[in-house]
Amino acid sequence: MSQVRARQITVLLVLVTLHFVLRPFLGDVRFAPDLLLLALLVFAIQARPGEGAIAGFVVGILADSLTPVAFGAGALAHSCVGYLAAWGKAVFFAESLLVSGGFFLAGTWLRDALVLVAGRHMTDSALAWQLLWWSPLKALTTAAVGVTILIVFRRWLDVRVRG
Amino acid sequence: MIFAPESYSSRRDTLAFVVCLVLAVAARMSPPVIQDAVAAGITRTVLAPFLFVQRQAEVVRASRGRYVQQAAARDSTLLLALQTSGLKQENEELRRILGLSSRLRSRHVSAEVLHQALPTSGLMVVLSAGRDDGVRAAAPVVAPGGLVGVVQRASAHHSVALLWTHPDFRVSGMALNGSVFGIVAPRGSEGPGTPMLELRGVPYQQDVPPGTVIYTSGQGGGQGVYPRGIPIGTIVAVGEEEVGWSRTYVVRPAVHPASISHVVVLVGPAVDLREAFSDTVIGS
Repeated sequence: MSQVRARQITVLLVLVTLHFVLRPFLGDVRFAPDLLLLALLVFAIQARPGEGAIAGFVVGILADSLTPVAFGAGALAHSCVGYLAAWGKAVFFAESLLVSGGFFLAGTWLRDALVLVAGRHMTDSALAWQLLWWSPLKALTTAAVGVTILIVFRRWLDVRVRG
Repeated sequence: MIFAPESYSSRRDTLAFVVCLVLAVAARMSPPVIQDAVAAGITRTVLAPFLFVQRQAEVVRASRGRYVQQAAARDSTLLLALQTSGLKQENEELRRILGLSSRLRSRHVSAEVLHQALPTSGLMVVLSAGRDDGVRAAAPVVAPGGLVGVVQRASAHHSVALLWTHPDFRVSGMALNGSVFGIVAPRGSEGPGTPMLELRGVPYQQDVPPGTVIYTSGQGGGQGVYPRGIPIGTIVAVGEEEVGWSRTYVVRPAVHPASISHVVVLVGPAVDLREAFSDTVIGS
């Protein structure tokens, strides 16, 4: 395993661990950044679409086990987001921080939307508030943390970021 | 941003994606027994160390909060000791700080709520207490403010609680004096942070004024799920009515799941708990 790969894995493991360590301190769970999803997105934008989908499936099953409201919905949503993030990164050559932030933002919102649609446990006003208020807020906080991670760990992650 | 002219996704990538989708759909469509078994297995193995870490982090956060609370209590105790006329108030303050658990006559287990990031985490949560602590399926989950939900399944060290926000949640409710009975169920959301409940099936001729506090009725006696007297919420308005038949009332919940970090799981026989919640300010 190359040194770069080992560093990338270290950053991802740190993100996954921080997801659990920091959760009680991140405030309201409805808009707190999702570091598990962020780890997936950071991985996916450097991987092939197939790898992104597989990583998404694994993260999704883990998330489903922790919130078994609609088991499988998380796996479905994360697989799609992992695949699309890897594919989108390749297609658009997203090297600017703004585009990467956009990926994190769109990925988080899309994940939430797919989980809710596949789960079908929220309807009407609750669904609308979730998708139009809480999910965009969570997407914003996740994107902000994601951009910070890219800046801080750009050498470890071997990403080229432009302003 | 530059658009790449060539396609990046190979046939192998597409195949991996399709396999993942098929597996995810299979997981979604599988029977609840299998879903629960897989989820419990993953929670018990792969996620166990992470959940342990999250629980410790939760305990650290709570300890910090308790320290601040106790320091404030200590300071107020000092002040009140200087003012003997305020001793009664001090006594009440300290009793409140001692917490709900000292007032509960039922056997109970304290647990941390291990919130997660999925948007559905407001419907179901993982609790840090499990079978080894005495938690069983169908045990009521309460917070100092009132009813939170019910344990759906318990593994050795963790349990999963279905919250009152879940569309499948139902509980028999009543007014404190037992004059009004109905079924309480979730009722959408009236704003970004205000999921509501509704009291269904109240006879048309029974008028329930706004401000009436609704408690669990304890229907089912010792075999029922919820003991009598846990606050559920407060009537705020009439929702719908079938003229001459029944009314549905909108209820502001006593506890918002997103705001709680600690709960108490009732594991003993169902006893009347109205006294335990007698000084609870509903909806605060």
